[in-house]
Amino acid sequence: MKERIIFHVDVNSAYLSWEAVYRLQHGESIDLREIPSIVGGDESKRHGIVLSKSIPAKEYGIVTGESVYSARQKCPNLTIVPPNYERYIKASNSMISLLNEYSPIIQRFSIDEVFMDCSHFKGKDFLKIAYEIKERIKEELGFTVNIGISSNKLLAKMASDFKKPDRIHTLFPDEIKEKMWPLPVGELFMIGVKTQRKLNGRGIYTIGELANLDRKYIYSWLKMPGLLIWEYANGIENSPVRSISYPVKSIGNSTTTSYDVDNRKEAYMFLLAISEMVGMRTRDLKLCGKVVSVSIRNEEFYSYSHQRKLDVATNSTNTIYETSKKLFDEMWDGKPIRRFNITLSELSSSDFYQLSLLEGYSEKDEKLNKAIDRIRCKYGYNSIIRSCFLHSGINPIIGGVMEEEYPMMSSII
Amino acid sequence: MKILMKPIEMIAWFTTDKKPIPLRYRIMDENNTFKVIKVDRILFAEEEKLAGNRMILYRCESKINNLNRVYELKYEVDSCKWFLYKF
Repeated sequence: MKERIIFHVDVNSAYLSWEAVYRLQHGESIDLREIPSIVGGDESKRHGIVLSKSIPAKEYGIVTGESVYSARQKCPNLTIVPPNYERYIKASNSMISLLNEYSPIIQRFSIDEVFMDCSHFKGKDFLKIAYEIKERIKEELGFTVNIGISSNKLLAKMASDFKKPDRIHTLFPDEIKEKMWPLPVGELFMIGVKTQRKLNGRGIYTIGELANLDRKYIYSWLKMPGLLIWEYANGIENSPVRSISYPVKSIGNSTTTSYDVDNRKEAYMFLLAISEMVGMRTRDLKLCGKVVSVSIRNEEFYSYSHQRKLDVATNSTNTIYETSKKLFDEMWDGKPIRRFNITLSELSSSDFYQLSLLEGYSEKDEKLNKAIDRIRCKYGYNSIIRSCFLHSGINPIIGGVMEEEYPMMSSII
Repeated sequence: MKILMKPIEMIAWFTTDKKPIPLRYRIMDENNTFKVIKVDRILFAEEEKLAGNRMILYRCESKINNLNRVYELKYEVDSCKWFLYKF
């Protein structure tokens, strides 16, 4: 295959930078990026985790994902600002349109990460172009990015992660040994805490040590996922930069409740509210799914789940709700719950599907869903709601951070 | 000039080809009374899109209490709001 040039553009502390720039633009004198500060969820609603941190906050040992409470203990004079996803989408879109001037093949990997196929710069000074992009983003949009450059997406992504902020790194295959192999194995894409522990258990601490294992050995030990990380450790990856989004494999929504739910009636309401969202999204994508799975997390932060395969694929809010209710009844042990999740998978197109002799099919229900979707699309999500939510204090439709489609992280590179 | 970022009421002239032109605005002063200021001259106008948020920055000059003062106005495109940015 022809050698490619891939850029991976990664916004430095994205949420925090965007918030800081927005505030400076609106006349604030303090730059959030220069003081210990975080973007954090609302603690009173129990969404209190660190979403993004400034570099001075990092020096206090604050990590993304920990609770706002523990972050504040590490740094008492921490500035905490609430998230605003609408602003982030705007900032992210502005970056995409700037990058589009340089390459038509762009993959939005998440809200703050982008892959660009820049193979057409081959022969030209692509480093100079990368610097130009970085400087233009800083100058015109006000925030800084790291750009990783290599011949495939994985290495480009690893490169952009090297030293931050506001830097450009290359990691071509001949540089792997020197730049990537000395890093701890946990830094490699797709290696989480659990895999890291497993690898450490057998004396593998660096990416280089993983890369130098025998291919057959890693396969016999960790099977296909093992092979994947072994290939990654050796810099082997050749997926194209996908400018069209990857086909959806499952559709799910979840919510952390603002209080512990200890009775069945309220739990059902949360399940219904999430079913509404899952159903609506599935219908919007013209899909239907066969497997419904429900997972709950109790007050002790213990999660468990249950799933069921239906005879007929569905995208009906009612069917999803009824199935999740059954699943919930089968597994709930009565302990107060803090988080609900419903996921619909084994998706297929909703144009045609095989009906079952044993299960009912209601044309009325399908029409009803369609009508509700149309009304909500025209007049807003809350224009038509189920009466059980009236005066309940529970949102009638739950899930997602905002109404507009929001590019989420993916484990598929 | 000091950053104020104070919301103001504005009469502006929206043209077919150029950026909107601020003409006259009023602002609440310390005594809670409105003061109307006419924009005499626009020294320059430039568009910024920091963090993707479009704003037009104007450096203007007006005669205020018989003194020529230079200051900056901002127009936020998405919200259609005017601000006295620096004075």
